Amino acid sequence: MGSELKTPSARQGLQCRVTTLGWLRQNLFSSWWNSAVSAVLLVLLAMLTARLFQWLIIDAQWAGSEPSACADTSSLCWPFIRARWRQFLYGLYPSEQVWRVNLGLAVGALLGVALAVRRMPARRWVAAFLLVAYPPLAWWLFRGGAGGLAPVETSLWGGFFLTLVVTGSVFWVSLLAGVLLALGRQSRLALVSQACTVWIEFWRAVPVLVLLFVVIIMLPLFLPANMEIDRLGRAMLAFAILMSTYLAEAVRGGLQSLSVGQFEAARALGLNWRQSRLYVVLPQALSVALPQITSNFIGLFKETTVLLVIGLFDLMGEVQRAASDPQWLGTGTTAAGYIFVAVFFWTACFSLSRASSRLERRMTRYRAAVYRP
Amino acid sequence: MSGDTLTRRVRKNSAFWLQCLLGLALLALVVLVFRTTQSNLELLGVQSGFDFLWKKAGFSISQHLIPYTEDSPIWTALAVAILNTLLLAVFCVLLASILGLAVGIGRLSSNWLVARLSLAYLELFRNIPVLLQIFFWYYVALRALPSFESSIFITDYLVLNNRGLYFPFIEFGNGFSISPPVMGRFAYEGGFYLMPEFLALWIGLSLYNGSYISEIVRSGFQSVARGQWEAGAALGLKPAAVLRRVAFPQALRAILPPLTTVYMNMFKATSLAAAIAYPEIVSVFVGTVNNLAGRPVEVMAVTLAFYAGVSFLVAWLMGRWNKRITLRGQ
Repeated sequence: MGSELKTPSARQGLQCRVTTLGWLRQNLFSSWWNSAVSAVLLVLLAMLTARLFQWLIIDAQWAGSEPSACADTSSLCWPFIRARWRQFLYGLYPSEQVWRVNLGLAVGALLGVALAVRRMPARRWVAAFLLVAYPPLAWWLFRGGAGGLAPVETSLWGGFFLTLVVTGSVFWVSLLAGVLLALGRQSRLALVSQACTVWIEFWRAVPVLVLLFVVIIMLPLFLPANMEIDRLGRAMLAFAILMSTYLAEAVRGGLQSLSVGQFEAARALGLNWRQSRLYVVLPQALSVALPQITSNFIGLFKETTVLLVIGLFDLMGEVQRAASDPQWLGTGTTAAGYIFVAVFFWTACFSLSRASSRLERRMTRYRAAVYRP
Repeated sequence: MSGDTLTRRVRKNSAFWLQCLLGLALLALVVLVFRTTQSNLELLGVQSGFDFLWKKAGFSISQHLIPYTEDSPIWTALAVAILNTLLLAVFCVLLASILGLAVGIGRLSSNWLVARLSLAYLELFRNIPVLLQIFFWYYVALRALPSFESSIFITDYLVLNNRGLYFPFIEFGNGFSISPPVMGRFAYEGGFYLMPEFLALWIGLSLYNGSYISEIVRSGFQSVARGQWEAGAALGLKPAAVLRRVAFPQALRAILPPLTTVYMNMFKATSLAAAIAYPEIVSVFVGTVNNLAGRPVEVMAVTLAFYAGVSFLVAWLMGRWNKRITLRGQ
């Protein structure tokens, strides 16, 4: 493994002894060829940085929050973000009801943080609440229509809020369905395992956008006339079908990594199928599959941007909609909007993948400590 | 069977009946959905059947690799759309592979700057949604290109303006001839050109998936044992030769299976073309043809069959290649 060379201790040892000049010579100018490459790259990098600085900061328009602030349509228009901030966060959600969104998301965030604290008392109950009770409660809070809350149509939902709702709900449903599909694929019953295999392999070949169109157009035909699911519901169904097959494959990888001894030990203890899966097999399989599950979650999070193609307005969709407002027309406006969305997604995805790899390292250490012979 | 105890036989029997029950339930569901769909279609007055494929298309397609006019039948439009999809997919696979290979090897470079810039590329493009990247290239970067009158000449025969990238192309008329792009009154004529939609998708998809490929290539090369590199050097091979002749063939074994997944994802992602109206199968068939012909079930079936077919074909081919390079006995 080449990574052995890059352990922190080796690098720190190197830095203690080597001066800046020596470091430069070793890492950038070690040979004639390396020096040439470094020099060319440094020049290109300097030019690129200067151009970006010029474009993003110096030439950009900063002051004001009215369309008139961006007289020049071709240079970046930051006032656009300031003026449409609310729309990017909540879409068309009625402003006197926005507290519901804030409350729901804040509770979710608090629960998430509580779960991340290792010494949290009753952590198990926090997890149970977050997984079982929170989603329906939050959904009720956002949608309303019962218990004294005014109904808010899902067609008004949008922006950052919609991105979170779709990602969260789809992931919640898909994880459960994915685990069931993975167990089904490993079933002793030939019909069950064959049906699950065909289902998974077929949907894995279909692009998300195509499935979105299929579900949007076809679902009303499949269902009796008195059953109707709104556009958001249909879109989430399409996402969930795909996501659950991806997660099923991730969980299957975890299941296959378990030794036969684990299954046999569970049976020797007298556990039945449900008990052995719940207490022995799944906890281990899910922890092995965790990196795969996280990367699928990140993939889903990025993929929600596709919603704008079918006329739902997630964060990216709201930016696109706001940028096509005749008052704000211009490449400078569009570019500013895109950079805003890109920074948001980049920060979120980068932190998530960093957190995931830290968790993975910790679990590897933990396993090594527990399973030491 | 002497080992067949009573409990085991009971269990086997119950498994059999359970499966029968499940099979029946599945069948009932399929029949139910089929009947509902049929009655719904009748209520809407929608006809069914694939005869619409032979009707006149009546719409134009801005990029066609085979002869196509508005008078052509719909199946020709479908063929044009499929060819456009495949053209985009092949271009993306080529560019993403080159990028991924270069950056993946760059990650392992002893030059600190090269390694860091490769890492920066990976982290920048992997963590931004690909649709956003495509939109950026299409609505921002390519919009900034000059108009036809003040085109950029990369070479004399490679012309770039806000209508696309023009280059010479083989012309099949009477025999072969190479026709270069010639400046006409309103546009460049002759040769071939890639429309801005194609360019945006090509750049966006390749940069995004190239970042995934670079990570696969890096870990592939790192999976080659250190002794192999040292043995290559001890034989007196130059570093580049060790990389190409010793490390690469071994790394390929670790690279190929995850690479297949990325290629499939990239192929599926060409459907994002529908968002900026590049005429591939989703925008032409699911979009235009579905609206004109009003046969949603048939249109969706053809589209799903196309994606499933190509995916299984790619999986099969890559699986064969993988089998060929796998070590015997492993």
